[in-house]
Amino acid sequence: MATISSAMSIMTGALDADQQALNVVANNVANANTPGYTQEVPTWQQSESVQIGGQTDGMGVTETGATSLRDRVLNERLDQQQQLASASGTRLSSLQTVQALFTPDSGTSSSTAGDIGSDLTSFFASFSSLEADPTNTSLRESVLSSAKTLSADISGAANSLNAQQLSIDQEASGITSQVNSLTTSIAQLNQQIETTSPNADAGTLEDQRQEDISQLSKLVGINQITTENNGLSITTTSGALLVAGANNYQLSNGMVDGVTHFFVASTATASGATSDGSSAGGTDITAGLTSGGGELGGYLTVRDQDIPNVLTSLDQLAYGVSTAINTANNAGTTISTGTVPTPNNIFSTPPTNVAGAAAAMSVVMTDPSLIAAAGAGDATGDDSNAVVMANLGNQAIINSSETPTNFYSTLVATLGSTVSQAQTENTAQSASVTQLQTQSDALSGVSLDDEASDMSTMERAYQSASQAFTILSNIMNSALNLGESTTVS
Amino acid sequence: MQPAMREIVVEASRALARLDADRLEELALSCQALNREFVSASLQDRSLLAAQARDAAGEMAVFSKVIEATGANLEVLHRARERRGNRLEYGQPLVRNWVPAENGHGDN
Repeated sequence: MATISSAMSIMTGALDADQQALNVVANNVANANTPGYTQEVPTWQQSESVQIGGQTDGMGVTETGATSLRDRVLNERLDQQQQLASASGTRLSSLQTVQALFTPDSGTSSSTAGDIGSDLTSFFASFSSLEADPTNTSLRESVLSSAKTLSADISGAANSLNAQQLSIDQEASGITSQVNSLTTSIAQLNQQIETTSPNADAGTLEDQRQEDISQLSKLVGINQITTENNGLSITTTSGALLVAGANNYQLSNGMVDGVTHFFVASTATASGATSDGSSAGGTDITAGLTSGGGELGGYLTVRDQDIPNVLTSLDQLAYGVSTAINTANNAGTTISTGTVPTPNNIFSTPPTNVAGAAAAMSVVMTDPSLIAAAGAGDATGDDSNAVVMANLGNQAIINSSETPTNFYSTLVATLGSTVSQAQTENTAQSASVTQLQTQSDALSGVSLDDEASDMSTMERAYQSASQAFTILSNIMNSALNLGESTTVS
Repeated sequence: MQPAMREIVVEASRALARLDADRLEELALSCQALNREFVSASLQDRSLLAAQARDAAGEMAVFSKVIEATGANLEVLHRARERRGNRLEYGQPLVRNWVPAENGHGDN
């Protein structure tokens, strides 16, 4: 039979255990606003029972420490969605700046890149005006003036795009040091966790590591691999190793063909950062980082894909218009009484490989009498070559497939569609992050039963949304094919 | 007529983002009502709805993506819950250690 002393001992032990559990709760309250802190719960252990006179008596419980309520699977999913949302947000922001460049500048007298569409119309219309009076100097000056406005807007757009590309390049290169700082910190935390808490939850150390991983996810697309002793390896989404246990592999950047490339050190001890890519001593992972997620992925997608696509289109437009107009002008007869230069071009000769044609576009003709409005061998009052040049505006002179105005409209529409798509992606990914954040926050404070209830709510939400979507899709399809009725009830 | 289709779609995306099941169930009912109206609508009303449908196309793309992401999140949460359930059932430690695979069993 247990004695009063043993009963008192059990009660004292219980009070001690409760006191320690209260300390855990107090710690939770104190850290309620600490970023990345995960709520802890006390761990109870039953004390050894004692046998007195053939009867077994329990000896109560002791508190053996605290365990953080974290879920690594959920955290990984959250990090993964965060890096996608971060990439699409960065891309969207940069694309909106590009798109703003092509917004028509109505209401002001100055012409900008956004006026290229109307510039093209005005330019070809100026030849139509010249047809009525081919020797009229004022009309000839009007042609050159329209040409100057068009070339200035096209070259201005190309130069602005190049400037934006350079600015994005600088933003991207600035991320390197932040990534290195975080991977260094994660490697150090890995070492502490593996040393001090290889077989149990490491509490605040794991919180700090998770916070660093979340920050890293916003910067660059990563994969996480759990290793022995509670360690963690981190690679980029393309598989380049950034952290392996207590070692980190520094990211560096260097210039290759005028743009910043990113390298990852091949050894953990390499310092990495240099100003020259050729001496960085690591592997070039730039292509893998593009579209790989995080801010860096977003920046590189705009720098290496979106802006080059727009620039290529502008180059094709500038090349097509310059080449066609110059060729036509050289085929006609001028009203000049002096020496006619050879070649007698209106626009500067574009580069033969098309690339750079937009930035280099300019008007080289200064004397309006050199405009060859008359046909070859015709009298100076003839307008047949002016008609030819006016008609070029309605001919497929861009890539031999599209008219200048249609080509430019497609360029602007494609850019708008890309922005819209990035907006859609970003909105959806942000919503996904919100959902996961809510679940992650809820996890640390609920029982499995409460969690099942939360899951049930989420499933209800998902099913109701799917039902609404199905009905709306059917209505939309039916509405857009008027006369066809829907079968959804 | 029910609220414009675009408003319904935008509200549905927002409700799904914050997992507001009650609101989504209301919206699903609104969609059913909208569908009934559409079936019995005159040609003129159907034209109006066609214009609304075109207007809501962008928001439908967002809604579709959010549903897709929610489905993936739900799957991850199911797995996470299953994992935690198993861990409690078998009394495994909260931190699962990585154990290297044994060599010699199909290892190449």
